Amino acid sequence: GVLLPAPRNITILSTNMKHFLVWSPVMVPGAAVKYSVEFQGEYERDYANDSWIPIGECTGISVTQCDITEDISATVPYDLRVRAGVGTQASHWATLSSFFNRVTTSLIPPMLTVTADGYHLLVELERLGPAFEFWIYYWKKGQGHKVYRKVVKDSSTTLHMDTMEAGTEYCVKAQTYVEAINRSSNFSQVQCVRAEAGKAILVT
Amino acid sequence: CSISMNIHEIRDGFGTIKKVIQARDPIRTASILHPHSLHNFQILDSCCLARSILRFYLDKVFRHCETGSLYINRKISGIANSFLSIEKKFRVCQDENMCNCGEEAINKYHQIIRNYEQMDVTLAAMKALGELDILLNWLEAY
Repeated sequence: GVLLPAPRNITILSTNMKHFLVWSPVMVPGAAVKYSVEFQGEYERDYANDSWIPIGECTGISVTQCDITEDISATVPYDLRVRAGVGTQASHWATLSSFFNRVTTSLIPPMLTVTADGYHLLVELERLGPAFEFWIYYWKKGQGHKVYRKVVKDSSTTLHMDTMEAGTEYCVKAQTYVEAINRSSNFSQVQCVRAEAGKAILVT
Repeated sequence: CSISMNIHEIRDGFGTIKKVIQARDPIRTASILHPHSLHNFQILDSCCLARSILRFYLDKVFRHCETGSLYINRKISGIANSFLSIEKKFRVCQDENMCNCGEEAINKYHQIIRNYEQMDVTLAAMKALGELDILLNWLEAY
């Protein structure tokens, strides 16, 4: 019989160290097409007879995407392949047009929320996972030459950046850094907040 | 030869399979890396020993660690590819003559190979993989 066509347009979408393999669906009228994905790192090519490793979560799936983040766990070139199946019939494997290295992931500037709580400069960060550090810069508005920096690994709690001078406006921006690929994101938007004004103390 | 190694990522991967791997090691009375042998070894040519041990794992250990578990094989692949990524950095140092091998490093490495070759290949490979913590601790201090 006619061999099942192999999937096409195999691409990797990688943002903030989350990597997804996506491909175009194989259309077979009246049939439920299933897909299976395998990966291969540089180690498998150079030391393990060019072997391929199945991704369990993406074996016999109906959707046309697979989260490969867990398996891309080293900064080396990886190859990935996917094939279609209907019943016992399977297509040829279709592979990436070029290797994927996580060093090419898109690093997005971090989202942060800056607030003034009285005289306290507070920052809340989004959670991006253990691979990320946050570099947070802050300064008094108008004194951009004197910038302070804090490096933060755990973004799960609200950060107390500093105690501000009464009535003074402070500005904050941040970027992420990923040690595994030795790269930083661009800076986030600058956000400025004003400390509470000082209270007049009545001396009698 | 200073190298960033991202050891905690390897440790995380190994941590998920460590119990299973160490449970497959029936020989309790022998060791390949010997916990003490690496730790009092911080002299000049530790770069050479580090690179030699990484290549030992790439050449001899990982390939004999295939298991019936897809999950474990995937984690071993992650560790192996991380080792390769680090070994390639050491290779650059060696090419630039910053990773020379002194006698002690060579002797230490040969001792590890002797330990390894005294056992059945698969058992020795599983034992060496089970001793990864010893190596990671030493590399972290590198």
